[in-house]
Amino acid sequence: MASTTLACPVRLAGGVSARPGWVWCRWLVLLVGVFGLGLSSAWAGGIRIDITKGGLTPLPIAVPSFVNLGADGQIVASGTMGGQLSEVVTADLERSGLFRPINRSAFLQMPDTLWRTGPQYKEWRVIGAEAVVSGATRQEGDQVIVDFFLYDVFQGTLIGKGKRFTASSRNWRHVAHRVADEIYTRLTGETGYFTSRIAFVAQKGGSKLLAMMDQDGANRVDLTHGENLVLTPRFSPDGDNLFYISYETGGTRIFRLDLIGGGHTLQGDYPGLNSAPSWSPDGRRMALTLSKDGNPEIYSKELGSGQLSRLTNTTSINTSPSWSPDGQKIVFNSDRAGSPQLYIMSSGGGEPQRITFDGKYNSSPSWSPRGDLIAFVHGGGGRFRIAVISPDGKNMRVLTDSWMDESPTWSPNGRVILFSRQEGSRSQLYSIDLTGYNERLVPVGGDSGGSDPSWSPLIR
Amino acid sequence: MKRFGWLVVALVSLGLLSGCGSTPKTGVEGDQAGLEAGKDGKGLGRVGGNSSNLNDPSRQGAGSYHYDVNVEPEHRVYFEYNSALINDRAAQVLAHNAGWILAHGPKGTLTIEGHCDERGTREYNLALGQQRADAVVHFLVAQGLPANRLKAVSYGKERPLVPSHDEAAWSKNRRGEIVLR
Repeated sequence: MASTTLACPVRLAGGVSARPGWVWCRWLVLLVGVFGLGLSSAWAGGIRIDITKGGLTPLPIAVPSFVNLGADGQIVASGTMGGQLSEVVTADLERSGLFRPINRSAFLQMPDTLWRTGPQYKEWRVIGAEAVVSGATRQEGDQVIVDFFLYDVFQGTLIGKGKRFTASSRNWRHVAHRVADEIYTRLTGETGYFTSRIAFVAQKGGSKLLAMMDQDGANRVDLTHGENLVLTPRFSPDGDNLFYISYETGGTRIFRLDLIGGGHTLQGDYPGLNSAPSWSPDGRRMALTLSKDGNPEIYSKELGSGQLSRLTNTTSINTSPSWSPDGQKIVFNSDRAGSPQLYIMSSGGGEPQRITFDGKYNSSPSWSPRGDLIAFVHGGGGRFRIAVISPDGKNMRVLTDSWMDESPTWSPNGRVILFSRQEGSRSQLYSIDLTGYNERLVPVGGDSGGSDPSWSPLIR
Repeated sequence: MKRFGWLVVALVSLGLLSGCGSTPKTGVEGDQAGLEAGKDGKGLGRVGGNSSNLNDPSRQGAGSYHYDVNVEPEHRVYFEYNSALINDRAAQVLAHNAGWILAHGPKGTLTIEGHCDERGTREYNLALGQQRADAVVHFLVAQGLPANRLKAVSYGKERPLVPSHDEAAWSKNRRGEIVLR
């Protein structure tokens, strides 16, 4: 897919391309405020459960239907693509919790005139919109072309430049997610995460299968069909491959699934446990757990040569390795001190540093792609909840409150954590902002439950 | 040293268990299961030990598990929370299994499954289930079953025996299973 920055149309001469200071400042304050809350509660000593909902005021934004253009570039009355695109954009922004899309029935200016003449700012101000999106789409052969502009209603200016995305028609949802990513980035200063996928284990009846879908739950595909138990898919850093566990040879074995070419290959057949595969950020190594030498230990395997190096050496359980984004360190789970706790070691092995001391069950760590936080499962009082902690062991915060939450995985921008929650005998996927706000069910389609999520990198 | 804790437990159990039942009850009682074991008191004496464990110095003088080798035992043992230690009750059941399998059981490879209750993370439970399966294998080998006939497989928390969500269910789901087929 291609994207280009559009020159401002003539009608918009005078529009500024810089991000308006007003909107930016407002968001900076908002984000700092939220982070400040987390920090101060940690400094106050003890854990604070940041699950108070509604502490954040989402930005009111208007996303009218995108107009459909004919070959001559003129607006045509027929066509459904424009409306579908804007619905996907709206849903993305709403789900992030940072935006409040305004109900379209309140709009005073119609999409046609918005596209042709630009915003009548007063009409958007009246309904409380602080930003408005204007978009258009047309078909060119098998290609869908989408142009969009984002405006600051109070400043009366463009935010950034107009932008064009081109893709094959069947990838139209991807184009919509690109638009949503752009809007998110321009209004928050952070990279978006809407052009990403989720691999997970779907529960269908009594069987488990490997599945993948867009981050919003669309375009689900089943990658296995339930004939063998499968667990813990993990995306490669390029998003093109998955490691996962399958019992198809009779025990826990790690396989690699090629999402582009198809086909799956066994990644070693060591006696005993083969589990917890984790790609290094450069894609060249896999950290994994093997029990071939007597008890579950963490190894690093060079994927090219197949050479194994052992990273831990205890008589206890060591598992769930997760790499720091620079590839220098690995956080993992060990019960060497009598209960499962988190430790950080060099990715080449060596003496680890324990980072969790609160509670008797800290497990399943996942290092944020931003590097600043580690999400994990914190057990206590008969409940297992998602928490985050700094790599130096400070600022632990518990984000969720249920009895069995697990398998945290980060959005590509390190802002949102996806996890699975057991409800009765089945699991569902949920997402939550790293501040502890905006917990949401992530539907996986059909009557399936979902667990073991892995969030892909951005897909461009 | 956790992996070898069963040796200690097994030795201690010898003093406690003089007349063990041939068909142990399922271990709902959790860590009290071992104390319950003596109550059946049938004590159909057959020494469960054999040459292989007599060669093991840690088991010298051991091997006084009593069971009827002609009665098929339950092929399942239970563990305590977050533990892979073979407790007294489990030791008795496994010794009985070893004797029965050698006398009457299938001759091929046996799969030893390790299972966990639903609490805790998937990956940690896979490792814990492996520890449990390995502990059962070690015990059976010490009781005379050839190591090359035993294959340990962890199912973590994927295959609960009892689907409900309370201690009664969890105590049955934390288990090792000897699969004979």
